[in-house]
Amino acid sequence: MKKFNEIAAFGQKLMANTDMDEVLRLIADEAKKLVNAQRCSLFIVDEENELLWTKHSDGLERIVVGLHSGVVGDTYQKQTPQIVNNPYEDERFLPHIDKKSGFVTHNIITVPIYNSKRNIMGILQLLNKQEGDFDNDDLEFLIFYANYISGSLELVMLNDDKEND
Amino acid sequence: MQTDKYARLSEFGKELLSKHSLDEGLPLIIKYLKALIGADRCSVFIYNTREHRLWSTIADGVERIEVDADEGIVGYTIRKKEVVMTNDAYSHPEFLSKIDTQTGYLTKNILTAPIFDSTRNVIGVVELLNKSGGFDEEDRKFITFFAHFISGFLELVNIYEKI
Repeated sequence: MKKFNEIAAFGQKLMANTDMDEVLRLIADEAKKLVNAQRCSLFIVDEENELLWTKHSDGLERIVVGLHSGVVGDTYQKQTPQIVNNPYEDERFLPHIDKKSGFVTHNIITVPIYNSKRNIMGILQLLNKQEGDFDNDDLEFLIFYANYISGSLELVMLNDDKEND
Repeated sequence: MQTDKYARLSEFGKELLSKHSLDEGLPLIIKYLKALIGADRCSVFIYNTREHRLWSTIADGVERIEVDADEGIVGYTIRKKEVVMTNDAYSHPEFLSKIDTQTGYLTKNILTAPIFDSTRNVIGVVELLNKSGGFDEEDRKFITFFAHFISGFLELVNIYEKI
């Protein structure tokens, strides 16, 4: 029941927010806390320009990658979550991002976030689990979490689009 | 009008997430969806995949009734995994007129949407009946959005009501 209350309380906080930056930050912070990871980036899918971008990615400025590059791109293409516990031996991994930030990635987990039309609108990526590697429990939980936050994310993106029109 | 409808969703979402059970949440979902789309009736059907059974609430949104998961427009929605919209219920091949016969209610038009969980299985169906003037493409868009919007709540309470 404790976890239920925690998630429900988080959900309310998220719903109370109509600012896109703030919503993205809340989603990433909570995800990090829930699976005990060091970093979290929420990538937004831009199909028109074939890009995946983050508004902020803690410790880093905006990251932009091609829609099909990196572990996130592969997540998008395969439409399935990915666990990579040996990034430097994985050919999909993009080491130049580590090089730029000085961060060392030990392990990665990604999950797609679907919109109401069941298309992927974003990808949640967590890096460096504090103890051990990412496992199936993390995966199962994040799949649930990605759906849980997706309604709020879609709503705030919709309203953001309207404001920019 | 459209902006207003979507804007009200965040207020609704906050209220919904303060509920910790289906018994508390379903009446709220029904109340909002009915008001936002402007239909005469609204039901939420909860689908148990394992047992292939479907239940819904009646009137007050609390008392539960079981219904056949294969029959009618709702069963058709589960099989198709898509929104079903008909503005002439009696001409739809999947429509079951026996329910109207039993209840004395006259169904004119229907809009249903499947609700998916995080692993993209159908966990329920929302159904609206009788919008005056009929349902339109805007309603179809909105119910798709709405069904997805409430799915996180439904999945969470489902998990915890099972434990």
